[in-house]
Amino acid sequence: MWQFISDRWQDVAFRSYQHVSLVIQSVILAMIIAMAVAVLVTTYRRLEPVANAISSVGLTIPSFALLGLVLPLVGIGAVPSVIVVTFYATLPILRNAVVGLDGVDKALVESARGMGMSTIRVFFRVRLPLAWPVTLAGLRVSTQMSMGVAAIAAYALGPGLGAYIFTGLTQIGGANALNYTLVGTIGVVILALILDALLLLLGRVTISRGIRV
Amino acid sequence: MSTQVEDPARAEAGTPARTGRRRRLGREDLGMLLGLPLLVIVVFAAWVLWRQTAILGPIEKRQLAWSVIGELTWQHVKLTVVAAIAVLVTAVPIGIILTRPKFRRLAPPVAAVANAGQAAPVIGVIVLLAIWIGFGFWTAVLSLGLYAFLPVLRNTIVGLQQVDPNLVEAARGMGLSQFAVLRRIELPLAIPVIMAGVRVALVLLVGTASFATFINAGGLGALITTGITLFRYPILISGALLIALLALIFDWLGRVLETAATPKGM
Repeated sequence: MWQFISDRWQDVAFRSYQHVSLVIQSVILAMIIAMAVAVLVTTYRRLEPVANAISSVGLTIPSFALLGLVLPLVGIGAVPSVIVVTFYATLPILRNAVVGLDGVDKALVESARGMGMSTIRVFFRVRLPLAWPVTLAGLRVSTQMSMGVAAIAAYALGPGLGAYIFTGLTQIGGANALNYTLVGTIGVVILALILDALLLLLGRVTISRGIRV
Repeated sequence: MSTQVEDPARAEAGTPARTGRRRRLGREDLGMLLGLPLLVIVVFAAWVLWRQTAILGPIEKRQLAWSVIGELTWQHVKLTVVAAIAVLVTAVPIGIILTRPKFRRLAPPVAAVANAGQAAPVIGVIVLLAIWIGFGFWTAVLSLGLYAFLPVLRNTIVGLQQVDPNLVEAARGMGLSQFAVLRRIELPLAIPVIMAGVRVALVLLVGTASFATFINAGGLGALITTGITLFRYPILISGALLIALLALIFDWLGRVLETAATPKGM
């Protein structure tokens, strides 16, 4: 096993980097989409049941099936990976962001308005910081999920460690099948745990001091 | 997946917002109970219409023959149901044991290990088990079960832990035995949370059962892999669509079970 990794540590490192990079970029994209939709939903209340229904149905659809539905539209490669990972990453963040923004005390928003803040300033200085802890919890769930989804998306020749797992699968019976699969699987677990720890750290740094528990 | 999402939100949202939310969720749950079958029927009808009228090549005709589709769907359902039953009869008792006073100390480390285990990509677990014990139906059931075990276990533990200790104490004071307290007080109060975990597990199982085809255990995933390798989009899309519909049906079944199992007083 160590022999296997040291023989191709450069490739392992590169694929790990690809995997994390795919997940981080997709999650950032998902974060932007989710926040935009969350603001829309909390402004126009009637949209909330619609958004909730879409996210429940969306989370129900298996990632492999969604991959199958996306492939005819965009072909194989990195693009379907990004689409599928972003899709699943958006839903938990959206749900939590809506709950977080809903939980902000109306009186606080009103007093901020009374102090002369514009709507945008109220959002960035009052509502977002107060909704941030809950949103961040959604972000952590998203990231965790995305690591696994990214591995599955590798079936359509997407980037990342998932390719090792599928190489292992096709080579079953061969000498390196177990090594490939183990490196792919354990690599994803380790990277997911590291990312989760980093997000916890991000929470320590970014959650406003007044509401830190 | 979805309870995982709801947990942090529920835990951190303020109490007044929470009670308001719960009532609204009730109406939403009703909407999903009625809306889901409607959505499934409409999409399935559209697919059947397409299947009947489309001009298909010989390969597509063979892969999308009704007998083939029926067989693959049956395999998929069988994998899901067998794994779900296996999970239910193992995860719920273990969850109950882990919340008993004697073993309570073990719950946090088990939960931590379970959470770390959830990070393992399911496709990797399936392939590893296939290398270890060989291809086939039972390997698929085992790896699916391992994957769906965690949400049920976690929800069983959480559900039992959130039962008001005063109620347990009162029941004990009334002379109920420990087992009677578990059966008549704790389990009925924990059922909604446990069933939410079961629904999540069912959806996860339908999704992961699509990988069973990689280890010769059948299922609708075969249509997706054939579609990709032969570059036949009709096969690929049919497979993806049918798996998605099956997932929605199982999600609906889970919701029905959840509603039916919740005691009237709650």
